[in-house]
Amino acid sequence: MTTINLHLQQVKERTTESMEEMWVNMGPQHPSTHGVLRLLLKLDGEVVRECIPYLGYMHRCHEKIGENRAYVQIIPYTDRLDYLASMYNNWAYCLACERLMEISIPARAEYLRVIIGELQRIASHLIWLGTFGLDLGNFTLFMWCFREREMILDLFEAVSGQRINYSFMRIGGLALDVPEGWLADVKAFLAWFTPRLSEYDRLSTDNIIWQKRIQGVGILKPEDAISYACSGPMLRGSGIRWDLRRDDPYGIYDRFEFDIPVGPNGDVWDRFWVRRQEMEQSVKIVEQGLKAIPPGPVLAPVAKKLRAPVGDIYSRVESPRGELGHYIVADGSERPYRYKVRAPTFVNLSALPVMLPGYMVADAVAILGSVDIVLCEVDR
Amino acid sequence: MVSAGALEQFYALFEAWGIPWIVPRLAIMLGVVSIIIGFISVSAMFLIWWERKISAHIQARFGPMRVGGWHGWAQSIADGLKLLLKEDIIPTRADRPVFILAPIVVFAASLATYVVIPFGPGLIVQDLNIGILYIIAISSLTVVGIIMAGWGSNNKYAALGALRSAAQAVSYEVPLVISLLGPLLLVGSLRMTDIVEYQGGTWLGILPGWLIVVQPLAFLIYFTCAVAETNRLPFDIPEAESELVSGFHVEYSGMRFAIFFLAEYANMFVVCAIATTVFLGGWQGPLLAPWVWFLLKTYFLLFVMIWLRWTLARVRVDQLMHVAWKVLLPLAFVNLGITGLLVLVLSPMG
Amino acid sequence: MTAEEILQQIQSRFREEIRTAEVRRGEACVTIKADRNFEICRFIKEELGYDYLNCLSGVDWTADKEMEVVYAISSLKQPGKIILRARVPQDEPVLRSVVPLWGTANWHEREAFDLFGIRFENHPDLRRILLPEDWIGYPLRKDYQDERFVAYPWEDRKPGSVPRPTTA
Repeated sequence: MTTINLHLQQVKERTTESMEEMWVNMGPQHPSTHGVLRLLLKLDGEVVRECIPYLGYMHRCHEKIGENRAYVQIIPYTDRLDYLASMYNNWAYCLACERLMEISIPARAEYLRVIIGELQRIASHLIWLGTFGLDLGNFTLFMWCFREREMILDLFEAVSGQRINYSFMRIGGLALDVPEGWLADVKAFLAWFTPRLSEYDRLSTDNIIWQKRIQGVGILKPEDAISYACSGPMLRGSGIRWDLRRDDPYGIYDRFEFDIPVGPNGDVWDRFWVRRQEMEQSVKIVEQGLKAIPPGPVLAPVAKKLRAPVGDIYSRVESPRGELGHYIVADGSERPYRYKVRAPTFVNLSALPVMLPGYMVADAVAILGSVDIVLCEVDR
Repeated sequence: MVSAGALEQFYALFEAWGIPWIVPRLAIMLGVVSIIIGFISVSAMFLIWWERKISAHIQARFGPMRVGGWHGWAQSIADGLKLLLKEDIIPTRADRPVFILAPIVVFAASLATYVVIPFGPGLIVQDLNIGILYIIAISSLTVVGIIMAGWGSNNKYAALGALRSAAQAVSYEVPLVISLLGPLLLVGSLRMTDIVEYQGGTWLGILPGWLIVVQPLAFLIYFTCAVAETNRLPFDIPEAESELVSGFHVEYSGMRFAIFFLAEYANMFVVCAIATTVFLGGWQGPLLAPWVWFLLKTYFLLFVMIWLRWTLARVRVDQLMHVAWKVLLPLAFVNLGITGLLVLVLSPMG
Repeated sequence: MTAEEILQQIQSRFREEIRTAEVRRGEACVTIKADRNFEICRFIKEELGYDYLNCLSGVDWTADKEMEVVYAISSLKQPGKIILRARVPQDEPVLRSVVPLWGTANWHEREAFDLFGIRFENHPDLRRILLPEDWIGYPLRKDYQDERFVAYPWEDRKPGSVPRPTTA
């Protein structure tokens, strides 16, 4: 209790510091916080001087629930973490369990996981690009990105029956094989999607207003990025070529050829450009996967009642938003003893107070957008 | 519309009946005002529907399709009715008189500018000899209403929006006025009908006599400033919904919000109408009736404004100021200087 | 640097503080006494070059009457991971904060404080992060009681009735 009072007192002191500065609540209901995030901003005119984030509006005891469910039963809950990349959450969780229980999965399932995972990455980046366009005032980009994302959702609906919360992956593989002709549909989608990227460029990348708005804004220095353990496009935007798909390969990513785009300056533009290029790389990966996918089963024979051996594991994957880690402590029962999700956006968001000060309110919106947060995952 | 003599006879008739002189004048005024309000409402509703359709087609959508049957033509009417019937909410901590007055001021300012818009020969309410000056003076009043709204709402976002709006309007008025001075130097009159009639002939026998042909730079500066004046993207920073949650009118709802909305579209029409009058030859044009030509040209400019809005991103406050003071203003001065020099050299009176 | 080398270096430097040390799945797993966690973390960061704190999580070992803070540390330049466990008594769960070393520890430690009640000394801003500031208790502790919390009815279930995925 004392810490709370102390904090309130600090806020009060800060409030009366200067007559010219004002505290503004951005959120919890604000169109640009991408969910229920509350930022307390100290504004000097239009310039942000300080930023205090308040989280937890969406906290739903994900980890506590996890401790009270069987390993398989947790999978649907992982969908609800990062609801824009549910497939990847499924994958990350199943992979952690498979590593913990030392289950190896069939080759076809590995390939399908990569194909589906990369499609999910494209879908997630499309949402990001669209909402980032909204933040900057470009509504048309939003609608265009959603158009292509819908197609990916249709593909996912065909395999899992769901559009957002798939629960499609299982410990030991996938729930089902993909329907007949699905791989051809994916191919057709890629053929449609690749030219669309240059269409987005015409609205965003090539536009001088777009460039001027985000270049040189919200700079995150590489040392800060490491100190704040930023990951994914945040880290690569700061010039560090680090991608778990290449540097700590999981699944069968070591069989694929792809580039890791980085940006040199660590500004919003670099984070934007990294994500924009990652979509191209994902297309490349999916194309390679489509060529090499073997036939066969998609689910390894696993026990009906899964029990993990005593021990713990920290397993990490490169989700569209960065390093998605699962820390699972097993006590030999059918439930995890401790289940912790290292959410990439939770960690990336913690670097926000470092990036914001000194920029304008309009930049604050762009910087927050460039972090690519999903509040369901931040608050868990 | 009606010649001055006819009006005098009309007034004299009432005086002969012993009715006080103020009554017929008020009646005429009311009639004119209702016609203008009717025109503004219909035009704004059409514009809103049109903008929704254009934006929808830009974004691979259909837009409103249901209300009224054909392509949702009655959507704006339905929305307007809904807004009219909504509860009128005034925040408890708002400055009530200011809060209530603000939308009226904004709307009155845009309403008053319609007085001197020349829709066609004779189709002008009052052909003032200072028409352009009057429009510029009156349309600046809009910003007063916006500041009132921002202040009266007692909301930080609204206050920020109002501050931005004040800065923006003050900055963009200057290059706007100076860009208009070039054409006015050529015409030599501030009267709207004079400006239109000046553009009746042709340049070099082939090009239409429109002032845009000889003053293209002034037109571009004027149009950029006009977009900024009406708070439209890419210059919509006073209401920037992703930053200020729609800025100065964040606390408004129902009818008061509708008035702001109406005023925005009325203002769009006004700035485009001025551009048509000054640069595009006003009602001049072959075959069709003059007022049709006038509306066609104005709506073409409105289409360009809508097009810009749905394809561009929003600029930042400092960039906005930069464009106004360091780019548009010097360009406007250069244009004015060159025009003045040419007028001096070429004019026989020189 | 292999996991064995990492272990060796840590052990040679902090012989007294190490409780257990092993290599599992190619990761160096070290359990330490909590009173010098900051120095060991600084050693790992500055001298071993493992400068990336992936994750910091609390674990409640209520059977041992102990709480545990697990640091998952890696590097962006070299492979390998270090799982560092610091154990503190349950009735006095206090550790040095590692925020001076890693900015990311700020929110992680706030989360551990929020959900486990582990206190971190020298933390710049230790207050609840996910739960409301007036929340009572620490939900992820195994002895946490809340009348709204309904345990899953494991006892009533027949063995083998856990839903199982089917292959197509």
